[in-house]
Amino acid sequence: MDTLNDQSKICVNTVTKCFSSKQGEVTALKDLSLDIRDGEFLVVVGASGCGKTTLINMIAGFDTPSSGEVLLDGKPVTGITPECGMIFQQYALFPWKTVQENVEFGLKMKRIPKSERKAIAAKFIDLVALNGFEKSYPHHLSGGMKQRVSIARALANNPEVMLLDEPFAALDAMTRQVLQEQLVRIYEKHKKTIIFITHSIDEALLLSSRIAVMTARPGRIAQEIINDLPYPRNADVQLSDNYMALKRKIWDSVQAEVLKSMEVETG
Amino acid sequence: MDKENHSKKPVVISIFSLILFLVVWEIVCKGGLIDPVFMPAPSKIFARAVKLIGNGELMAHTFASTRRVMVGFMISSMVAIPFGIFLGSSRLFMAICDPFISLLRPLPSMSWIPLSLLWLGITETQKYSIVFMGSFAPSLLYIIEATKSIDPLLIRAARNLGASKLDVMREVILPGALPQIISGLKVMLGIAWTCIISAELVAAREGLGFMIMNGKEYFQTDTVMLGIVMISLTVMVIYVVLKKFERRLLPWTR
Repeated sequence: MDTLNDQSKICVNTVTKCFSSKQGEVTALKDLSLDIRDGEFLVVVGASGCGKTTLINMIAGFDTPSSGEVLLDGKPVTGITPECGMIFQQYALFPWKTVQENVEFGLKMKRIPKSERKAIAAKFIDLVALNGFEKSYPHHLSGGMKQRVSIARALANNPEVMLLDEPFAALDAMTRQVLQEQLVRIYEKHKKTIIFITHSIDEALLLSSRIAVMTARPGRIAQEIINDLPYPRNADVQLSDNYMALKRKIWDSVQAEVLKSMEVETG
Repeated sequence: MDKENHSKKPVVISIFSLILFLVVWEIVCKGGLIDPVFMPAPSKIFARAVKLIGNGELMAHTFASTRRVMVGFMISSMVAIPFGIFLGSSRLFMAICDPFISLLRPLPSMSWIPLSLLWLGITETQKYSIVFMGSFAPSLLYIIEATKSIDPLLIRAARNLGASKLDVMREVILPGALPQIISGLKVMLGIAWTCIISAELVAAREGLGFMIMNGKEYFQTDTVMLGIVMISLTVMVIYVVLKKFERRLLPWTR
């Protein structure tokens, strides 16, 4: 595979990651390679425990590979990279800051003056439709609203890449759908490179421009699938033959890996 | 908390039980069952209070002790909070300082009184130093613990948004640990009072501890009792004020 593609925004190059645990050495990822092009919406699908989070943590610079490297714009990632804005499943909002202060956080860290910060924050609070909640503290908000604050906070910092680690997994189905639609609109408007992790095949099909299926542990990329379904992916698209065919293709691949991981656990 | 306000009955019962206690105490003393040198009647303590308030002595002693506690405690907290946050976030720094903290922590503040008198004499600085020595090491441990209780995910999120390590301490660890730091410091404030009263009992020219000790020298048991009651009332008032302050400081916990 041509891993040194000029166009790739992020290049994960034969990365292996081992952890030492009580049961001994665990290999979470084994020689994983993945290219993400600029402006792509890549969804990584995999069964639980396959190392999806480990992969995204290494792209964000929270974790370093045991071997191999992660390149961002051709340069190796060696520490935490604010160019890659992270959105966590548990929201990770600062409970002592209001919605506005949370959204302003990255700007404050850049020492941007208060009035300018306020204007930028207002724009992104508006984008995620949280007007009127600027002065609220996170514990007064619902899960879906918290995740919208988290998205606004990441976007206000203007990252080149957005990393989302199962961001909607803890939300109810209705809220999840609303947020998925909002995310697609944001993607179309802001043209960020997005890496999104999920275990839901439907979510992958609704959001992605490309899907990468991961194997059971130790994680590698089992299959990469271009998702050329037309946006917006409304009910018509979801009932189309194309959608079904893609879903079957991914499901077969994921299912094989889930079965493999179950064999490992029981055997 | 608000539930208590719905019914005023418990408060009425509390007041009644207090009055009953004072009446029984008064009767027992007036009836000659207890020698007034051992235990004066509440009315005598009250009379002493009126006299000492009249000549300004009681307030002067109370303010002297309160000022000493506040100054000593402020200095101790102002050093302990930044130091504790640093120690809590750096393993190396913690390893360097750990032996000293471990050695200081078990020492009762009273064990410093002789040395502090030798070094500083019977001065205000000596009183502050006793409060400091008594409250610094335990405060530091409370703050280190509070620092470690911060969700690491929040630190990650802050770093991901471009926060430096110093930013993380100021913007994440300090506010995140603040509720726990404050509850730790409230416990320490009680200990600071213990420190100052012991220091005043040993050597002082004013303060509630001095008043108690002086009363004992002249067999004025009513002054001794008044001093004890006054310590209790002062600490109670300070806690009420502090509670108001705490709510102001932690708006997000409401």
